[in-house]
Amino acid sequence: MKSNLYNHTFFISIIAALLLCTNGIAQENDLSNYSLRFGFKTVKQADNSRLLEVSFIGYNKTDRKDKVPVFGAEIQFLNILNDEEILLGSSKTSKEGIAQLILPENQKYGTDGEGYINLRARFNSTDALSEEEEDIMVKDLHLDLNLSEIDSVKTVTLTAFTMDSLGVKTPVSDVDIIIYVNAMLSKMNINEGTISDGAYTFDMTESFAGNTKGDLTISSIIEDNDEYGNIIQEKKVYWGTFNKQIKADDHKLWTKAAPIWMYVVLTILLLGVYVNFIYTIVNLFKIKSEGDNLPVEPKKNYTVN
Amino acid sequence: MNIESRKRELFKEFAPRLETTSIKSKIYIGSLIAIILVGLYAFYLQMSKGQIVTGMRDNVVWGIYEVNFILLVCISYSGAFISGILHFFHSPWKTAIARIVEIITVLSLLIGPIYILLCMGRLDRLHYLFMYPRIQSPITWDIMAIITDIIACFIYLYLTFIPDFAILRDHCEERKIPKWVKKMYKTLAIGYQDTKTQRNRLHKITRTMSAMVIVLAIVAYSVLAWIFSLTLQPGWNSTIFAPYFIVGGLFSGVAFIIITMYLVRKFYKLEKYIRKAHFKVGGIILLILAMLYGYFTFTEYFSRWFSHKEIDTNLLDKLFTRYFWEFILANYVGILVPIGILFFKKFRTIKWVTIASVIALAGVWLNRYLIVIPTLETPYIPIQDTRIDYIFYSASWVEIILSIAGIAAFLLMFALIGKIVPLVPMNYILAGQSAPKTVKEKDNKEISE
Amino acid sequence: MKKNNTEEGGTNRRKFLKLGLLSSFTAIAGTSIVTNLAAQENETEPTGEVMRLLTPDGKIVEVNASNINKYPEAYISPEESRKGIPDRKFVMVIDLARCKNARKCVEGCQKGHNLDYHQEFMQIKLIRDNPAAEPYWFPKNCMHCDEPPCVTVCPTGATFKREDNIVLIDNERCIGCKFCVTSCPYSARIFNWEHKAKFDDKSQPYSPETSVPGAMGTVTKCDFCPDLLRQGLLPHCAQSCPEGVIYFGDRNEDLVTNGNETVRFSELINKREGYRHLEHLGTKPNVYYLPAVDKLYELEDGFDVSEEVKERYKDVPYVQELKKQGKI
Repeated sequence: MKSNLYNHTFFISIIAALLLCTNGIAQENDLSNYSLRFGFKTVKQADNSRLLEVSFIGYNKTDRKDKVPVFGAEIQFLNILNDEEILLGSSKTSKEGIAQLILPENQKYGTDGEGYINLRARFNSTDALSEEEEDIMVKDLHLDLNLSEIDSVKTVTLTAFTMDSLGVKTPVSDVDIIIYVNAMLSKMNINEGTISDGAYTFDMTESFAGNTKGDLTISSIIEDNDEYGNIIQEKKVYWGTFNKQIKADDHKLWTKAAPIWMYVVLTILLLGVYVNFIYTIVNLFKIKSEGDNLPVEPKKNYTVN
Repeated sequence: MNIESRKRELFKEFAPRLETTSIKSKIYIGSLIAIILVGLYAFYLQMSKGQIVTGMRDNVVWGIYEVNFILLVCISYSGAFISGILHFFHSPWKTAIARIVEIITVLSLLIGPIYILLCMGRLDRLHYLFMYPRIQSPITWDIMAIITDIIACFIYLYLTFIPDFAILRDHCEERKIPKWVKKMYKTLAIGYQDTKTQRNRLHKITRTMSAMVIVLAIVAYSVLAWIFSLTLQPGWNSTIFAPYFIVGGLFSGVAFIIITMYLVRKFYKLEKYIRKAHFKVGGIILLILAMLYGYFTFTEYFSRWFSHKEIDTNLLDKLFTRYFWEFILANYVGILVPIGILFFKKFRTIKWVTIASVIALAGVWLNRYLIVIPTLETPYIPIQDTRIDYIFYSASWVEIILSIAGIAAFLLMFALIGKIVPLVPMNYILAGQSAPKTVKEKDNKEISE
Repeated sequence: MKKNNTEEGGTNRRKFLKLGLLSSFTAIAGTSIVTNLAAQENETEPTGEVMRLLTPDGKIVEVNASNINKYPEAYISPEESRKGIPDRKFVMVIDLARCKNARKCVEGCQKGHNLDYHQEFMQIKLIRDNPAAEPYWFPKNCMHCDEPPCVTVCPTGATFKREDNIVLIDNERCIGCKFCVTSCPYSARIFNWEHKAKFDDKSQPYSPETSVPGAMGTVTKCDFCPDLLRQGLLPHCAQSCPEGVIYFGDRNEDLVTNGNETVRFSELINKREGYRHLEHLGTKPNVYYLPAVDKLYELEDGFDVSEEVKERYKDVPYVQELKKQGKI
């Protein structure tokens, strides 16, 4: 019996030890099993500021789901002009492995002959991690979103152009664009098209609720364009069809206050009962006071009828 | 006969029990206290570790605590109902059983709600019921009903005690009764001297209170039934639940009273006052209630079976498979056997009526169990994707111990009350003699013998 | 002789256990992951979610996710959380045709609400409408009814209906009477039967909107994740569903999204005959279901889950049939 138990413990311990080992292997601390991915993108946002974003994450070579974000790595964002690096700013990666830098609208960038802004994100090597670097070239595209009712048809007009240093506008063509309606938690795709000759127009036939004021937010997005990167433009317009909800009755079973009749019935019931209690107690006191007023030696003084 | 000397006689008859405590009863009280202490330990465990120590889990969130609660509170309500009727209609019966019924009423109303408290997860927040009341909730109604009922029953019980306290006060002087008890008699008798005006006044308020107590009992029964029947659960959502609970409660209440009568008669040597005739009539009342209760039970299950909505069918299937024996015991044995016993005149003896009562009481407890637990095990959304041990309910030792401790507490309090006051109201015995019209001549003779 | 033997065995065993303990200690010291895994398995430990990060000097470190996952929005007090997010009417639409019991919603929800492995706000049922029809997977959370029976019966107002359709529980008000549990026809509510170490974690103030930390002896349930909604994020279950089964949105906007696509709520319900479960009970739920028509996955795919989870369906007649046929 005893030795049996001993065997069991032995095997269980071995199995347990093995499990511990495999766990150790499955999620390793060793960096060699991870390949680091360094991604760099730029987005021109609705307020015309420019977002530079780097994501720096280590992926397990064998187990794709296992990823380790690099935290606290300093990323430098640079503007390159004829082999000269101008530091735009730097930022550290967050716990999601993302470093961001937002440059204001009036930020000046050096451009090359063709009008491209050369951007570079760099991570300087440490003892453990090697240097990472990625370049993007984008042209600064100006995207205007116009929302107007033409002959009572809601018309969305987009104009897109580049501007050179002298302020000359050049309309662009062959740029794919998607138009969305913003919702609380997401955006709904309402139209897709291609900008040609610097413009794209469509009529919005559908109606949307918008917010309580009847305002609808429409956004247009150019995504991952080879020349222009990501550009977002947004505008609010009074096109919503929101109907303010009629306020629900307060006196329901599931509201804070109960239906009126319940209060009435309950009050009547409780009043009736408690008034009777008080009546009884008052009478008891009357009995008591009567008893107190009787002569001290009562036993012989009274007879039963 | 001189009332005064009769009073003295009566006092002499009841006094020894008030004066001395026998070894036997000391052991009895000691063991009751021991059981209660074990119960308190179980209670401590539940308080410190949470309700994980009970058998209740996510599907069956109410267990035998709820069953005990319904049973005890129903017994109390029926006690109130019955004693109210006894008083209101000046029944001669009140001599023998009124006191016992009233004590049962108050005690079970004190112990019953403890079980609903045991069912609560956060006893430390009990006052929230009064701080943030929502009057739409049947629980709020129930709390109000129970509190009001406790007050009403206490006042009522006290009213019926006053003349006895007066007798005790007047005659205890020459006895070796502890001083504090004497003092208590004096205070509680509130200067009642049995003068004509005092007596009339007392009669008047006792009468209105008895009517009040009957009404309150009906309301409280219904509220208790509504806790279940106002939900959407199959097996609970039934229009006849309120009257069904009233009848079932009266049935269990009468059974409980008969059992108590039997025990009191035996252990307090009151054969003279609690007589075979009482058991006979008690048996007939029990028989009528059993038939009514059987009728309600049949209607309840019959309509579910006949219309067989899917969800009802699931419940009935469960009752006839998993709970087969419980169902048979509760709704066949628990109803038909008492009817079978009480139907025959020759079985309406003290022993058999008591046996029938025990069966009836156990049957009602099981019936309540079958109302609460299988329903919770049969929700609209099938129980899947739940840990296996969360599906079915079985009471844990903590719940069982606390249930037993509740009975012990009941017996203990009953014994203590029996030490302070006579279990047969002396003033009614006297009244029975002074007002022979309300008592049958034969009974009267027996009493005065 | 015999006695000797047992003694020897005893000491040997002790020795071995000692060694085992020692080696496991070193293992723990060597890889801190192991301890964390162990912590996650132990239900009573204050687990939280552990996140692994890589530091620039090449070390992989573990941090408690509660530091990461904290809600940047202002603290919503119990009083404020009774009002709800203004002018919103939240609805959920669950597309039964796409559900394959991947259980990611269950796991995502458990992670997001710091629930134990055995506590589910979201459960996946296997429902069969009639004997001729094939069953389907049926994710079920709280229906956030417009006429909620649970709120009706609450004696203290611990659970309440907000203007944005959400039914929440204030576990600082709850007295644990469990009446709401018994009155909910959707079995949406669960009870905290015992104290757990995680309840002691007071690092973030309690708000009914986050429902952490929980409290012993109180009721808890799916809350539509109002804390996430305030940040413009989808609830945990909708976020974690790989098949886009769960749509969520504001009914006032008439737009719902599953994270990938945004559609009109009214169109979705109209075109695909959306329904509400147990409509006849009159609770007016705010969770809609799209019927399991033209299912994308075989039902049996749903049994690609752990044995323990499989066991949870063992009483379903259809599952027993499948087992007999050897399909699962």
